[in-house]
Amino acid sequence: MSSTPSRRARAKPWNQRLAPYLFVLPNMLIFGLFVVYPAINNFNISLYDSRNGRDFTFVGGANYQELFGSEAFCSAARATVVFATCFVVLTTVLSVALALMLNQRIKGRAFFRTVFFLPVVLSPVVVGLIWGWIFDRGNGLLNTVLARIGLGQPGWLVDGGLATIVVIFVGLWMHIGFYILIILAGLQGIDPTYYEAARMDGATNWQQLRKITLPLLRPTTMVVVILSLIAGFQAFDYIWTLTGGGPIGATTLMVQYIYENAFQSPIRYGLAAAASVVLFVTVFALTLLNFLYGRRKEAT
Amino acid sequence: MSRRRWTSIGGSAVPSVGQVLTYAILIGLSIVVLAPVVWAVLSSFKTQSELAQRPPAPLPSSLATANYTEALSSFDFGLYLQNSVIVTVGATLLTVVVNTMCAYGLAKYNFRGRDVLFLIVLGTIMIPLQLIFIPVYQMAAQLGLVNSLWGLIIPPAATPTGVFLLRQYMLGIPDDLIEAARIDGAGEFRIFARIVVPLCGAALAVVTIFSVMWRWNDFLWPLIISQDQAKYTLPVALAQFNSQLSVPFNYILAMSVVSMLPVVVIFLILQRHIVRGIANTGFK
Repeated sequence: MSSTPSRRARAKPWNQRLAPYLFVLPNMLIFGLFVVYPAINNFNISLYDSRNGRDFTFVGGANYQELFGSEAFCSAARATVVFATCFVVLTTVLSVALALMLNQRIKGRAFFRTVFFLPVVLSPVVVGLIWGWIFDRGNGLLNTVLARIGLGQPGWLVDGGLATIVVIFVGLWMHIGFYILIILAGLQGIDPTYYEAARMDGATNWQQLRKITLPLLRPTTMVVVILSLIAGFQAFDYIWTLTGGGPIGATTLMVQYIYENAFQSPIRYGLAAAASVVLFVTVFALTLLNFLYGRRKEAT
Repeated sequence: MSRRRWTSIGGSAVPSVGQVLTYAILIGLSIVVLAPVVWAVLSSFKTQSELAQRPPAPLPSSLATANYTEALSSFDFGLYLQNSVIVTVGATLLTVVVNTMCAYGLAKYNFRGRDVLFLIVLGTIMIPLQLIFIPVYQMAAQLGLVNSLWGLIIPPAATPTGVFLLRQYMLGIPDDLIEAARIDGAGEFRIFARIVVPLCGAALAVVTIFSVMWRWNDFLWPLIISQDQAKYTLPVALAQFNSQLSVPFNYILAMSVVSMLPVVVIFLILQRHIVRGIANTGFK
């Protein structure tokens, strides 16, 4: 993006000088009102306390202090970190593995791609609802089948540890197709002559994978890591209908914690805003870290 | 097509272990992906007693549509459906128009502040609504958008990904084409509407499909904005009914299927474009 010689810009007729501003105006107006200003204002709100959304009083860092001393927040933060970590790692590993399989010459490749992408277009609310019903202890399809083949009937959504696994599983089920597609696009971008040369030198398939595919795929993998990281830290909708955040808060992640504090009595805007500042800073820092790490790897 | 393989399949007639394993994994996962959806669709035709049956029968006793007609008549289901359609169509139109205009401004003009504005667009990709919905809600409240469908249409309309995708696409349109039109005396807006927009078909299709998907399935923002039941969209209504034990599950399933159907149909019709569009635009 190099800047233009200003001499030519000045020579342009007035309508050409005005036009770009008019073109970007509507979008930038909405951006400004509903993204940029709120993102800044979020920090401001976090410094105030209010009773049921009225009578704001300045309290400085008190909300943050309260957050880190609150068991509910720490539990939501822990659950979010566990969820996001598992989600990012599994998403990256599985999407690369499955994309490699789908990149081979196999029958029904188009069918498999379509099937794996299908959940991406489904409503997360409906996804949570259907899986919640399948994992249900008493009436669920899964436990009916398990009982049929003589296995136990685990309380999938009653046990905190199991519920966490279920939530991660459903998250992967719903999103993996999107990431597979990104990796597939990356694989298509690798020059086939590398493989030809490697084969001439007698490299095995495993060596080709280790020495050519994975290194050249790194920028695409990094995109998957960053996108899944952002997705992992903002997970909410399907969990809301899948577990409702339970049992006993085991699957209450940060966004739900923020939502409950902001919109359910007692309304604590300031506290909720402080929590979203923490979430925002975390996501931002991790994204930046990933980005810099990716850059450094590319440079060496 | 070039040959790219990772496992040793070769041209041998006997499938290798790797090949068998690949098929086993892909078929197994396809079943895991499809089974819940198929199960839900089949079960949406079951009566309440059939749903409670242990073990459940795989197929409903008859393909009766009673759940659908009853769900439609006993709740304001039609209203939620209508709200969803209005919001999805309205927001998508607005998104496409403002995103395309903005992308054109950023791609084809040199003006003061352009790079800063483009950086803002890129930066906001990292600020999803989920992270800042409290101040966004306050802004919407100040503008009187709470409990109004406008509140569901306007705030999420300016999507950074849309601007980014369209801009990348427009960079590929030759400047000479635009210059030639200027020499012929076409106005700036006319050039945009008559020459540039028709050339952006593929990118516009992707942005449109994404917008439809996002708005139709959106939950958190509609949950916040539509506090009055008359302004619920389908996902909000579904989630609220699901939490009330008084609503029979066969109705909930029927509503779920109706809310899945439009996007699945659109997806199946346009899947080639969606897949190619995502693969080719931007995300690399």
